[in-house]
Amino acid sequence: MTALRNYEMSFDEFQNQSRLYVIGALEPEELEAFEQARRDFGQKAEDFIGECYSMHEAFALSLRPAKSSDALKDRLMSMVRNRQKT
Amino acid sequence: MAIDFSAATGAPDEAGETRNVRLPAAAPVLEPGAPTDLELMHGVQAEDPEALSALYDRYNGIIKALILRVIHNEAEADDLLQEIFMEIWNQAKNFSAQKGKPLGWMVTLARRRAIDGLRKKQAYARAGERLQTETEQQPDAWVHNATEEEISFSDTRVLVRRVINTLPVAQQEAINFAFFRGMSQREIAAKTNTPLGTVKTRLELGLKKIYDGLKELRDEL
Repeated sequence: MTALRNYEMSFDEFQNQSRLYVIGALEPEELEAFEQARRDFGQKAEDFIGECYSMHEAFALSLRPAKSSDALKDRLMSMVRNRQKT
Repeated sequence: MAIDFSAATGAPDEAGETRNVRLPAAAPVLEPGAPTDLELMHGVQAEDPEALSALYDRYNGIIKALILRVIHNEAEADDLLQEIFMEIWNQAKNFSAQKGKPLGWMVTLARRRAIDGLRKKQAYARAGERLQTETEQQPDAWVHNATEEEISFSDTRVLVRRVINTLPVAQQEAINFAFFRGMSQREIAAKTNTPLGTVKTRLELGLKKIYDGLKELRDEL
């Protein structure tokens, strides 16, 4: 634990960890140091993490869209409108 | 296992550098005068069902593809798609444009729900065997003839895939397991019979290349 507390992560390392973090691939034992570095780097860290989330969008856009039925949309919109009435 | 980011030709070896690719555009092209995603999301926040309907028309194909990539079951994917759009409707107030784009927010939400769904299934099934079988049998299960919607996204898909396809297959595979299966580094190491440190390196290198490639793409706009 002491070693963890004394370890200072560089911003380059933080960037690597952030890219793992946004896809949920950081191991539990890496999270503590990551969260500490996140606090240390402040807004700069938050901005970078926000940018990393754009990878989610890119991964989804890399897929070929799938077809779904019109009935599914009808059901969804019916649920939405019913919820509005209540 | 080559993954379905694919259509790769001649992926570089693991130590290979990202190829210098020029990528003109990242976002789906909208019809002139069509509301932006942000305008639609503001409409959803204002509880306008037509805004949700338009967002659904624009993105249901991508969101369903993402769900299918995780759970590989058409009926379950339809159920989840409906639940996710209801959640978008119910949670829209939590969306903040300062933190990212509407599609990114929707994808993050959808991925989380799909992986939750997968984990619930795994609690009842021998997940490893089932996943292996499904992965082998259905890599292209959602491939179908091009629709108008698909065509409007096809340029974007090609560009994003071009970035992803510059990665060595081992890096693509590690990212696939982490992003689409929600697997930890240890789980990937066990599944691929690869040392944990190697998995970590593959993920770090692969994600950095994708991040840099996407940044280059945005910078060129």
